[in-house]
Amino acid sequence: MAGRKIKIEVRNLSKHFDDLIVLHQMDFDIYEGEFLCVVGPTGCGKTTFCNVVTGLLPITEGSITMGGEKIDFKKHNVSFVFQEPSCIPWRTIWDDVKIGLEIKKVPKNEINERVSAILDLTGLTEFKDFYPSQISAGMKQRVVIARGFVTEPDLLLMDEPFGQLDSSTRFYIENQLIKVWEKTKRTVIFVTHNLEEAVYLSERILVCTQKPTGIKEEVFVGLPHPRDITDPEFVKIRNRVTDLVKWWE
Amino acid sequence: MERGDRDFLGGSMERELIDVDMSMKFDNLSVLEDIKFKVHENEFLVIVGPTGCGKTTLARLLGGLSKPSSGHVTIAGEDVNPKIHNVSFVFQEPSCIPWLTLWDDISMGLEIKGADPQSAETKTRIKEVIKLVGLDGFEEYFPKQISGGMKQRVAIARAYATKPDFLLMDEPFGHLDAQTRYLMQIEIMRIWEREKKTVAYITNNIEEAVYLATRIIVLSKLPARIKAEHSINLPRPRDLTGPDFLRIRAEITAQCEVVK
Amino acid sequence: MANDKNAGSGKLGTFGYNALALSIFILLWAVVSWISESLFLPTPWTVLKSFLDLCTYGDVEGINLGMHIFKSTLRIFAGFVAACILGIPLGILMGLYPRVYDSTKSVIEPIRFIPPVAWIPLVIVLLVGFSRYAFIIWLGAFFPIFIGTLLSVRSVNPTHIDVPRSFGAKRLYIIKKIVIPSTLPDIFTGMRVGMGIGWDCIMAAEMIGGENEGLGVMILKYAELIRIEDIMVGMIVIGAIGFLINEVFIFVERRVFKWKEAIVIS
Repeated sequence: MAGRKIKIEVRNLSKHFDDLIVLHQMDFDIYEGEFLCVVGPTGCGKTTFCNVVTGLLPITEGSITMGGEKIDFKKHNVSFVFQEPSCIPWRTIWDDVKIGLEIKKVPKNEINERVSAILDLTGLTEFKDFYPSQISAGMKQRVVIARGFVTEPDLLLMDEPFGQLDSSTRFYIENQLIKVWEKTKRTVIFVTHNLEEAVYLSERILVCTQKPTGIKEEVFVGLPHPRDITDPEFVKIRNRVTDLVKWWE
Repeated sequence: MERGDRDFLGGSMERELIDVDMSMKFDNLSVLEDIKFKVHENEFLVIVGPTGCGKTTLARLLGGLSKPSSGHVTIAGEDVNPKIHNVSFVFQEPSCIPWLTLWDDISMGLEIKGADPQSAETKTRIKEVIKLVGLDGFEEYFPKQISGGMKQRVAIARAYATKPDFLLMDEPFGHLDAQTRYLMQIEIMRIWEREKKTVAYITNNIEEAVYLATRIIVLSKLPARIKAEHSINLPRPRDLTGPDFLRIRAEITAQCEVVK
Repeated sequence: MANDKNAGSGKLGTFGYNALALSIFILLWAVVSWISESLFLPTPWTVLKSFLDLCTYGDVEGINLGMHIFKSTLRIFAGFVAACILGIPLGILMGLYPRVYDSTKSVIEPIRFIPPVAWIPLVIVLLVGFSRYAFIIWLGAFFPIFIGTLLSVRSVNPTHIDVPRSFGAKRLYIIKKIVIPSTLPDIFTGMRVGMGIGWDCIMAAEMIGGENEGLGVMILKYAELIRIEDIMVGMIVIGAIGFLINEVFIFVERRVFKWKEAIVIS
């Protein structure tokens, strides 16, 4: 990717669980501020990949480095957005979004500033005192996005966060996500099963193989946002990715 | 309310099976308002709408599991009643009974309707539907030993086993991942073309709706009303990325209200 | 997704680790009792000797340990079976018809919170002989079984009920084919807990029973004589039998309910 700094280097990454090889010699770079999607057939170890990149699970072989150092939660700023609804039930939206900043001991007035800004960006300002039980599923995912971005992370990892939403809400929130990403210029890794979503969102798609998981190919999506799913160019790329994944074979 | 092209299925006017004209309230909350439509024989009707708009309530009303607060849901003039009518339901939640083998689970509907589980006829039918959904060899398995997609296939087999007059499916693939979902959609089509039944299918996935339906009804947000109706005449199997498909899909997506 | 560490199967296996833990415990006990040199803290081998004596010669009245064990176990089972016979059907009934429970709560709940021990004076006055024991134990076992059954019936998965309903099944069919099998594992757990509490009550029951056979009675006899090692034999035997019964329950549960989904982390 022309002109972009490399943010994270993955070299010869392998992950074994006893005899089971899940990830096998993965070799690639992640660029500063890019929106990268990771797709692959069901059960191809995408979640293991996430866990390993962020250091939740130890690597068996190879290395993942950010700025030359191994990724470390305490030093580096990594945010997760999970698949399951993860709003904390006893916290208001405002409190929920600020939780990452609280943990990192950011000063109070800075917290207020940043949380206000992100809520504004995600259209949640008027709901800041609501509880998760009072808001819709789409809004909950917006809260989760806000929470992920507010800490200005070095890396934001999203694992199928929109799986539970209906079609229209999904498009709406995908557009919101792109809006926030374009504004904040964070590096995002987005894992999904939904190939159309991958083509809709990302600049670059990494297609993984079945276990032992490696990178099959990378696909560049150079279309401007917001994208049109009926656009023949979009369709072409989508079909290409679908052929590459070919899960039913 | 828009109406798409009215087309007659199969070249002749299909009989109307179910007549719906009702509203539904829970206490003071109006969930469904002035819902009026008919379900025709052998059609694959898909009902779409935003999440939480009462689609499941509508499904339960169509299946006779609940009664409307006002109006009626009738088959040939009689209120839909599972004890009288041959209706099958595929639920959104995994509905395999944990302590039954797949065989026993699939035979439940037949058993309730009075079939003798030991008779050759019943056994043949069960074998038939197991083959139909592609679960041969798994008859003695328990639900905990099989995947989510397979569990839904069991539910579908169970629903087909009784040769129902009317089949209801409430977001059956909602809890499956996108790829398994694609596979199941193709399966459903294959099964439907083999044993043509009248199907009412609920989903919030518009792509799925356009792929499967002969007719689509679009519901609005709460309180849900019928917003639009479309007849889908695309040839099968449908191409998810074909221009006509995408056009229809975009049209319906625009009609579906976003629950912000 | 496999876990990195395989829980519970190190080099020795669960059985091996348990044997090790037991040995360490006995060792510590021996050390403490040897250091303290108190008359009131016997060493493990003194206790073992008393155990053997009680088996062969019996207690101060000549009653054999085996007989004590037999009597206590008999009483427990009587009370437990009675608790099941009453508790399970009542639990199912009140689970199916919540209004019945809600309208009788004011009677049931206060009784539930009276500890079996508090019934002792009343029991002495109103009942005689075997029934005294059985009643106290019944009281201990009944409520876990009853409440466990009731709550289980209430929390049957509604989808499992919808399936036969959608085919037009009658209520009786649903109760027989869905509610009962669904609640069986929880009923079993209630039974296991009930048995445990019933066993806890054995001391209380045998204090007021009046007969001179039974593990609790044996402990009391030696309490008067301050023969600590014999008391400890009684305690250990009670604990061991309780443990054994619990393990049997768990073993049966695992076999019978092999359809239960394990919690899978994936």
